[in-house]
Amino acid sequence: MALIECKEVCKSFGTKVALDHVNLDFQEGRITGLLGPNGAGKTTLIRIINRITIPSGGEILFRGKPITQEDVARIGYMPEERGLYRKMKVGEQALYLARLKGMSRTDAIAALKDWFVRFGIQDWWGKKVEELSKGMAQKLQFITTVVHKPALMILDEPFSGFDPVNADLVRKEILRFRDEGATIILSTHDMGSVEELCNDIALINRSHLIISGDVQEIRRRYGNDNIEIEYTDAEGRHTEVLPRETAGNSTLKSFIDKGITVNSYRELMPRMNDIFISLVTNSGEEAPAAE
Amino acid sequence: MNFKTIGLVIGREYNTRVRKKSFLILTFVVPILFAAMMVLPSLIMLNTKEKTKEVAVVDQSGIVMPFLENGQAANWYDYSTEDPEELKGRLDELGKDILVVISPLDSASSVSVATYSTKPAGVDFAESLSGRVSDAVEDYRIKSYNIKGLDEILSNVKARIHVQEFTLGEDGKETISESGIFMIISMVLGMLIYIFVAMFSGMVMGSVIEEKSSRVVEVLVSSVKSIDLMFGKIIGVALVALTQFALWIVLTLAIVGIGGAAFGPKLLQKMQGSDAMEQTAQMAAMGTGFNIQDAVATMEDSGLKTILTTLGNIHWGQLIIAFLVYFVLGYLLYASLFAAVGSAVENESDSQQLQLPITIPLIIGFFIALMAMRNPYSQVVWWGSMIPFTSPIVMLARIPYGVPGWELILSVAILIATFALCAWASAKIYRAGILIFGKKSTWADLWKWLKQK
Repeated sequence: MALIECKEVCKSFGTKVALDHVNLDFQEGRITGLLGPNGAGKTTLIRIINRITIPSGGEILFRGKPITQEDVARIGYMPEERGLYRKMKVGEQALYLARLKGMSRTDAIAALKDWFVRFGIQDWWGKKVEELSKGMAQKLQFITTVVHKPALMILDEPFSGFDPVNADLVRKEILRFRDEGATIILSTHDMGSVEELCNDIALINRSHLIISGDVQEIRRRYGNDNIEIEYTDAEGRHTEVLPRETAGNSTLKSFIDKGITVNSYRELMPRMNDIFISLVTNSGEEAPAAE
Repeated sequence: MNFKTIGLVIGREYNTRVRKKSFLILTFVVPILFAAMMVLPSLIMLNTKEKTKEVAVVDQSGIVMPFLENGQAANWYDYSTEDPEELKGRLDELGKDILVVISPLDSASSVSVATYSTKPAGVDFAESLSGRVSDAVEDYRIKSYNIKGLDEILSNVKARIHVQEFTLGEDGKETISESGIFMIISMVLGMLIYIFVAMFSGMVMGSVIEEKSSRVVEVLVSSVKSIDLMFGKIIGVALVALTQFALWIVLTLAIVGIGGAAFGPKLLQKMQGSDAMEQTAQMAAMGTGFNIQDAVATMEDSGLKTILTTLGNIHWGQLIIAFLVYFVLGYLLYASLFAAVGSAVENESDSQQLQLPITIPLIIGFFIALMAMRNPYSQVVWWGSMIPFTSPIVMLARIPYGVPGWELILSVAILIATFALCAWASAKIYRAGILIFGKKSTWADLWKWLKQK
């Protein structure tokens, strides 16, 4: 079921069109990757869902009804440009943001302490935000986004600024939330995370929605339908790529008949990165660089 | 409005500000300055009166010495028989501060006077000496006319006039006043309210800009309505200001009280000489309780009495209430305007240009207040105290001179109405402005946001 439905959403700034009749659903309990080159209109769409920007046309439905301020108040939103009070202490700040999201003081403290321990940042409670490094501030930002267990999370580039260890930590938390039933919109340029995390994707380029749907399906659709077979014969180990038609059971059987050991047999799927590049470059001239 | 979230916003604004170092420093430095302003004049008086000068006089004319009466300023000692040149070297040994040499009378019945001292004798000393010697010479010259019954005539003729100013109160009762004091109070009030309104509404703008430039606002607006956010800030900073005032008043009273108890008795002793015990008690009461009327009763007829009577006749309660009312209203008006400007920019330096149209009336108000200090009944001042953008400052400057009740009520009513209007407009501008990034906004943009539904 769709938690969020975008119906004919349009937005223009002056003469510049940022979104042109976008129709897109975000399915409940799934992670949707919102992809697109810089300046494509992803952030504008996110801001429209968050009711920060008013659309020029179309509407956003939340559980089938037009989205209200009350729906938005519960969303966990992590903007691309991080926002924290630099002069405030870490703990106070997290507590303030959590309470604004409707948590009681005691619940918020308990939940925050739990998160701080899980992220190994217990000693930061009394530090000022300006003393934190970029990655540290990023962790804090993530915690403040999700501490109230929102049913919908919108994460704009959640991994930028993280080292691989911390990126993995956050990745696991995102998957855990998904497994607990949260709906997550993930805007990112990191195609590795898309393959690893996303159930669905939506690709926006030059203010148009180009493609949306299940990640595996799309990868299959844009693949050349090749099969990679790895086998070992008397001369050693070999890898061979064959079209699906010629790599059927008969081929496998002939290997076995010849006494060759088949080590692996797998469908070759294109990487998201390649799909992204080919879709973006084919759908128009070079994308505008500026956001 | 959501009172829970607005409460959280107020709490954050208040807590982060009162814990700042700058708040603590201001809280402690300002009362020291205030107290110094109140206590220093007395201390200076005390110290200048303390030292009575010991003066050796060589009166070669023979007419001046009788006119040199010992008093608080100086004790005069007749050394007329000795050699001035030799005395110059012996001043220290004799325990004298100054040597005065008066020449013999010349053909025009005049004398010349010279003073010698290791430390400068001071302008006051020279003036009082010159006055006394002039008296002596005039007296000598008049006597040379050999008028009959001269002494009697002179004592009939001599006059010393002290001007006392009275202001007629509304009840027709006269009150002693001194325009100088009104001027000072008027100036201090006008300046204070100008500084505070500018300072605290500037704080609101800074806070709006901070939230916008750090992008916190993008997270906040999903859970807080922009109008709650704006008024939360304005109220939070207002509470900071009121806390600061309360601390200033308490600390100033404490410092003056301690200072009064320490220096007061000494001061009064100097002024009155005797009855030290009683006066000590009186002075201590003045220092701690500010019972000016009581203190006045114990004073001699002097300039100080007029000052204290005037201070006593000013309605302090009315003044403090008026100050708070006009500060709060003036602050609310300007803070909402500054919040709107802050919402349109991403850093303080960009705000200069947009700020100008709202800082100009504030500055004009300050200048009208300076006019009010000298000429409180002029037309410009009257209008200045009615026009809401200048009235908080100008009216405060007028108040020490007495303002009819209906004018106060009218001025406050206009101010409240204007605030309501500006708050509404600012909230609209703010709602749109805080979420517009990456471009320099102009007044035209603000106007567009204001009209936007």
